[in-house]
Amino acid sequence: MVSAIFIIVVGLGAAFALGLLKDSWRNGAFALTMAALAVMSWISISWLGALASGAAQPTDILTAGVQPPFAINLRVGLAEAGLLSVITLTGLLSALYLRDALMQQGRRSMAVLLIAIMALSGIVLTRDIFNLFVFFELMVISTGGLVLLSDDERAIGAGFKYLVVTQVISILLLVGIIFTYHAQGSLNIDDFAAQPLAAKGAGLAFFLLLMALVLELKPFPANGWALDIYESAHPGFSAIFSAASGTAAVYAADKVLATGGAEWLPLATFIGLFTFLASNILALRQDNDRRLLGYSSVAQIGLVLAVIGQRDILGDQFLYIAGGILIAHAVAKAGLFWISGVITRRELTAWTVLRLNPPLVVAFATFLAMLIGLPPFPGFYAKWELAHHLVAEGRVAVLVLILIGALIEAGYLFRWFGLAIKREAPVARPKYAPGKVLVIYAAALLGWYAGYRWGALSQYDNLLQAMPLMVALGFLLIEGLPARIKNVIAIAALCVWFWLSYGSFDPLQMIFGVIFMIGGAVIFLASFHETGRRLGFYPPAMLMYAGLAMLIVAESSFAFFAAWEVLTIGSYFLILRGKKSEPHALSYLMFSLGGAFAILLGFALAAGGTAPLAIADLAQVTGAVAPWVFVLLAIGFMTKTAAIGLHIWLPGAHAEAEADVSPMVSGVLLKAGLYGMFLLLMTMGRQHLFGVDLTYVLLWIGALSALLGNLMAIFQEDAKRLLAYSSIGQMGYALFGLAMMNHLGWLMALMFVINHYVYKSLLFLSVGGVAKRTGTRDMYRMGGLIKLMPLSFIAVLIGIITMSGVPPLSGFGGRWIFYNAIMTADARLPMVLVFLSGPIAFLYLFRLIHTIFLGQLKDEHRQLKDAPFWILLPQMIYVAFLLGFAVLPGMALRRVDAYIGEHFTEQGLSWEGLTITSEFGYWSPVQIMIVIGTIFTLLFLLLLALNHKAQWVKQFNIVYAAERPFRPETTHFAWNFFAPYRRALGFLLAPLVTRFWGAITNALHETAEFTRKLYTGNGQTYAVHVLVFVVVLYLVAGGIS
Amino acid sequence: MSFEWIQIPYALLTLLIVFVYGVFMTTIIRKMGARAGGRYGIRLYQTFVDLAKNYALRSHISHGIMFYLGPVFRLTGGVGLILFVPTIYGSVMHQNFAFAGDLVLALYFVFFGTLGMALGAGESGHPYSAVGITRGLSQMTAAELPFVLAVFAVSLQYQTLSITEIVAAQQGGFLSWTLFTNPIAVVAAMIGFLGTMMRSPFDVFLAPQEIPIGPPTEFHSAYLALMQTNRILFPIAKIVIYMNLFFGGATNWPVFFLKVFLIYLVSALVGVVFPRFRVEQSIRFFLIWGLPLGILSILIV
Repeated sequence: MVSAIFIIVVGLGAAFALGLLKDSWRNGAFALTMAALAVMSWISISWLGALASGAAQPTDILTAGVQPPFAINLRVGLAEAGLLSVITLTGLLSALYLRDALMQQGRRSMAVLLIAIMALSGIVLTRDIFNLFVFFELMVISTGGLVLLSDDERAIGAGFKYLVVTQVISILLLVGIIFTYHAQGSLNIDDFAAQPLAAKGAGLAFFLLLMALVLELKPFPANGWALDIYESAHPGFSAIFSAASGTAAVYAADKVLATGGAEWLPLATFIGLFTFLASNILALRQDNDRRLLGYSSVAQIGLVLAVIGQRDILGDQFLYIAGGILIAHAVAKAGLFWISGVITRRELTAWTVLRLNPPLVVAFATFLAMLIGLPPFPGFYAKWELAHHLVAEGRVAVLVLILIGALIEAGYLFRWFGLAIKREAPVARPKYAPGKVLVIYAAALLGWYAGYRWGALSQYDNLLQAMPLMVALGFLLIEGLPARIKNVIAIAALCVWFWLSYGSFDPLQMIFGVIFMIGGAVIFLASFHETGRRLGFYPPAMLMYAGLAMLIVAESSFAFFAAWEVLTIGSYFLILRGKKSEPHALSYLMFSLGGAFAILLGFALAAGGTAPLAIADLAQVTGAVAPWVFVLLAIGFMTKTAAIGLHIWLPGAHAEAEADVSPMVSGVLLKAGLYGMFLLLMTMGRQHLFGVDLTYVLLWIGALSALLGNLMAIFQEDAKRLLAYSSIGQMGYALFGLAMMNHLGWLMALMFVINHYVYKSLLFLSVGGVAKRTGTRDMYRMGGLIKLMPLSFIAVLIGIITMSGVPPLSGFGGRWIFYNAIMTADARLPMVLVFLSGPIAFLYLFRLIHTIFLGQLKDEHRQLKDAPFWILLPQMIYVAFLLGFAVLPGMALRRVDAYIGEHFTEQGLSWEGLTITSEFGYWSPVQIMIVIGTIFTLLFLLLLALNHKAQWVKQFNIVYAAERPFRPETTHFAWNFFAPYRRALGFLLAPLVTRFWGAITNALHETAEFTRKLYTGNGQTYAVHVLVFVVVLYLVAGGIS
Repeated sequence: MSFEWIQIPYALLTLLIVFVYGVFMTTIIRKMGARAGGRYGIRLYQTFVDLAKNYALRSHISHGIMFYLGPVFRLTGGVGLILFVPTIYGSVMHQNFAFAGDLVLALYFVFFGTLGMALGAGESGHPYSAVGITRGLSQMTAAELPFVLAVFAVSLQYQTLSITEIVAAQQGGFLSWTLFTNPIAVVAAMIGFLGTMMRSPFDVFLAPQEIPIGPPTEFHSAYLALMQTNRILFPIAKIVIYMNLFFGGATNWPVFFLKVFLIYLVSALVGVVFPRFRVEQSIRFFLIWGLPLGILSILIV
């Protein structure tokens, strides 16, 4: 093992050696630089490997052969080795990336780069605070030099401001060191630990020391100087500045804090959290990509500082958690800065150019997912562990603030992603320097590798070894194949997975499993319609299905949460594919992530810090915390079912999605939320908060969703929006059924799960097919299509009869169970809303079929054909299923009925012969079908006998007093179809919820807009910020004793 | 209960009796309406004549499949509703096909004909049909509410969804009728009843003056005949449900005739007294007067 001191030796030596070279030997100089960085990286990585595997022990390196404190000692432990690897690898890759700039500037710039990396490594290694000061000074000077690599004119100013402010910081540091030496008689950090500084009344000394190091982390608001650097420096250097400098500085702060004792940690937590939140809010208003990344860097380092503030409770998980966040940040931020370097313009929309190079889009998405801490990246595991530790020690407030900050961060990062994916892209594919692109890919691969390592280190199953996820990610590798081949593979994957796992399912899992996997496969049939390669469709779609597959087999809270995030992120990318879905996909993601965070918090509370928690053990959660767990989990699940109040993402997301995506995200995805609700209510049952039965609240939420969802649906002109709002109503019914907390209520919810999957997929496909032909989704622009699209019409007809609950189709089964369920329910008032919403469903269903298929055919549609074969095929399968399910509902429900019976004392249904009997009534689907069928046939024959000569007349051959209509547009009654209804009940539709969420986002944006005025661009002001920051903190910290 | 073949002729007999009775009752009610308006009114056999004429007329016109099937749907709804509900309590002959389903089936089967007819009318392409349907459906959503709540109250009261059992519970003197044991529910239900009988003040969707005859505008000849048949059967089918749920049912035909007539008369009386509501007015009416009573009925039961 090569001693780690050689990292410094090689860096310094190579920098001096560069000075001996001729100015013109640029290639040689560059080769030397790269070689030096490679050696430094190799030493770091070999230490990391040896320490991680246990082949080596943490080692102290004594310089000058003398024991500390008489000479400086360096230390390599696991943390140091990891951080050194990050720093030196960032240096190596950035040097490669900066090749052109370095070659242009010559060997001096290369020497400065080497010094910078060496200094950063030194900051990590050294145990002596004066030595730390020296390395900081080296870092500052080299940073000042490297900023000038940029072509941007503002870089000079930024570098100068940086030097001004860092000198102020250096003074603080130096004064702190002097005081410390006075108090301690030693400059060695390890000596401090023996006698905490504060204990000796040297609080001010420690405070100054700490402040200087914290200021190096660019805390809000004393960070204007750093942001200017991010914005104007060469992105290759910004990567170092963000990933490596930040890493080194945060470790320096950690080293010192570790010696200060627990009383200093709250200060670090406060600064960290404040910075994390404020910087994320400020980033909301940024439209310059690099400045945005700068804010995000500051925020992430703030987060790490906040985690360091928790080191007293994290124990041996500290490195895992802080390291996970730090490494995710470093890799992602370096990667993003590198990508920004290949993009010519600075506004966020300029990133659309990435679309011409799909692998770069994957890299972009990878980096964003890493930053936000989505699975399977290190930040995800870190976030999970952190949450549990914080909750275990009662620091819920810290966790909540972290989650809020993370949500805001996700907001602006994914808004950016949305812009890049949806805004107009340039036509010509730019030529990228291959070296730069390779560096970006290397970072992305490192990110995946880090995710794999973190998964392996975690106490759970490694997510990257989970079969469904691997299959989904495998689709990234076969993106080059034609869409139809990929579609076959996708269908096969879903079916095989179902076949492999269904043996172990209980009846509830079975129903959801069939809907998720087989149901998903049926919808995929419609995807055969798409030709070409259909880039970017299969990986997210399969990611969503992988999440769903993992969800139903999840037995621990961790597996469940991971699956939840996987399906969320997959469905987000899927929804984003729609033409106009940019804002809606973002809104979906925000609500879903917010919900996911609520679930995380809920699980952490339930586990009481002792993860992992088996889902079944939720039943054991008792005491004051139980209702809060219930509330949080329920909110999380209700963001997916779009319960009223959390629903505003749904209409846009479902309506704007592609024709075959809408059924996936409506028919299939919404059920994930219901599955969660099932599990929650099965395990936790009734909970009371402030004396209120929470299932009673759910009952009201379900009923209100049913009513308002239906009510909003009837006023939509857009067919897919109508269906989307109807989903809110339908999910409301299901939630209502669950919240009744009786046997039949749950059975009804399951009936809705099955029925809603079938008819909503069916209707979305039909409407999608019609919209494909007509080129519009506005119903009033259609009309009279029944003759041209008979199969689509039949599909819609069967769909709406089922949905409306009219006998003899299976929707009636749901209503029948509903009536039996409410007979034993305790609460009666919410039923009123459900009773009202039932008939309202007729209004929008009739509108759907009438304005599209009946009425007057438009001139421009006279040549249309029925929907494409592949879109019709799954519809016909659904129609056949609905007819079969209408007659034999028992085939799906019988076993579930028995299974639910295990949870309730009261009896369920009895399934004797063909009649289904409950305590109160009976229902015989087959007989109903026969009676209705016979009457209908006889009457039809009668009419046929009477009017067999009838033939179709022309379109305008109608009884119209004294005039002859000739324009379909004026004869087709379709627009504002239910005007009287709007006059009577329109007041219920005031967009209160939209306004509420709008006000919150506006407030955040306005805060950002106002606060950014702090950053005047004046170096002196920034220096004053730093001083004020220190003084205010001094006062806040309560006068250090 | 289970099915036996003999029930088919029995059911047809029920149907025949109800039909003949329905024709006369419709006529008499129309005549009474006319007299109240100071007119002489139609002759007793006029409804028969109208029906016979329309059945005899031949047409070469159809606007499409749904148009053709619309009247079939409509009449299936009426006939089915009669057959899914027991007509005479205690009579083996007139239990019809009630074994197929309970009260919930009857409640939801009401919409079968409505939906089918609406689709047929829609395909005719006549805007008046569509206007009539939107008005009718809008009004129905509000009118159903007090009725459904009352039905829920009654099922809670008798702890069953079986119509036969509900009637059984009301036997033994008129004081055991729901009308007297749960008057609030009955009042709520009767308010809903007014809204579904296609009579003034809730007949704007037919709007005979301004949009000829509403949804059936385009229907003629045998199509119209089927719908007219339904207009005779359907109100009775509905009233039978009301009679069974709220007014003690009927144990023999004379009682049946009397009760059905009296219940029908309620809507006729209101109809000749009050002018027509606009749709939004009737929605408000049901929500303001019917809904609170319905809620009260389920709360106090």
